[in-house]
Amino acid sequence: MKKLIFAGIIVVLALSQATAAYYVHIFNIRPDLILICAVIAALFYRPRWALSLSVFAGLLKDIFSVAPFGMNAVLFFLWSFLIIKLSRVISLDNSYVRLVLIFIVAISDSIASMLILLLSGNFISWGVFFRIAVVGSLYTTLFFPLVLKLAIKSSVIES
Amino acid sequence: MFKLKKKNLVYPALSVIFLLFLFAATPALRKPAFKVLKYPLTLAALIGREAEGLIFYHRNFIQNEKLRKEADFLKHKLNDAEEAAIENERLRGLLSFKQKTPLKVIAARVIGRSADNWFSVVIIDKGSDSGIKNGFAVINYLGLAGRVIDAGYSTSRVMLINDPSFSVSALAQRSRQEGLVSGTLGRSLIMKYLPKDSDIKVSDTIVTSGLTEAYPKGLTIGTVTAVGEEFSGLSRYATIEPAVNLSSIEELLIIIP
Repeated sequence: MKKLIFAGIIVVLALSQATAAYYVHIFNIRPDLILICAVIAALFYRPRWALSLSVFAGLLKDIFSVAPFGMNAVLFFLWSFLIIKLSRVISLDNSYVRLVLIFIVAISDSIASMLILLLSGNFISWGVFFRIAVVGSLYTTLFFPLVLKLAIKSSVIES
Repeated sequence: MFKLKKKNLVYPALSVIFLLFLFAATPALRKPAFKVLKYPLTLAALIGREAEGLIFYHRNFIQNEKLRKEADFLKHKLNDAEEAAIENERLRGLLSFKQKTPLKVIAARVIGRSADNWFSVVIIDKGSDSGIKNGFAVINYLGLAGRVIDAGYSTSRVMLINDPSFSVSALAQRSRQEGLVSGTLGRSLIMKYLPKDSDIKVSDTIVTSGLTEAYPKGLTIGTVTAVGEEFSGLSRYATIEPAVNLSSIEELLIIIP
């Protein structure tokens, strides 16, 4: 049941990302609320559910995106998989460690997305890339505690 | 020692009352009298008001609650009316443009934006069922807004002019200097490939040249805000502020060729 409610939260945040998130943009950059959901799923759910929810979040982002369909689903699956692997090596229970983790994931997502978009024939300047990679990742990191709090308040995860 | 007696107070009091009466009754003396009486009157009114407030506290409290609710309701109504008025004005502009323009256009409403930061794309509520196809130019009554990149059955995606993948052949209205306008993903656009001796100045209006087949000639793109030289020194570029406010577009018009 908790997983289904979390899936509902992912849908709501994906819709917000495509509509309301534009009103909080900085330099035309919005926080990636859907990526945050994928990371939360990887941190708090069993691997099978974490990967499923991450792919679901990625597919939702693909629906609202212009990038090649499936790009985000594959990338989110990869980040979740790596977070699960990493959680077996080091503890990811500390809030600051989680903030560093989301920042690294957001930057990695930007780099991987840029490479895929370049390979698929899109033009991306260095300025645009740095703006999205640095400002976007920082902004996503800032929103992580808020989304985490929302998930905890909704009782879909335990802190 | 002096002892205050009732009898001693009667005469001075009577004298004061008489003087006040005299001052108030005589028109010439009324003004200075009121000037003197203003402060005690204010004080008395203040005390009276406070006393009334204390005596009728409960009645005032209930009345206050009721009025506050009413004010909140009216504020909400006013906000709705203001929103309707703004929308009305915007739609009137759009309708007037639609009536004036010789182009065949379809009006559509913006319902969403791209979920990622890599593209400047909006989703509109009209698709191929309304006759929209990929590549159609999109405008609003202020000028060029973008082009349709993905026409679904009932919705379409429109790439805005500030997307880095967007480019259109344009010219300066004054000097007819040609160049290529592209997006920067920010608030401004860039006009590239201008010759070193190009006649282009700040505040020049940039319009579509008609060389890019999808966009009719003469659509306003924006105004030049700065002119600079490329790093190579071989050509110049101009920074353009789009005529359309891309961050707050709500309605768009799709040109049917």
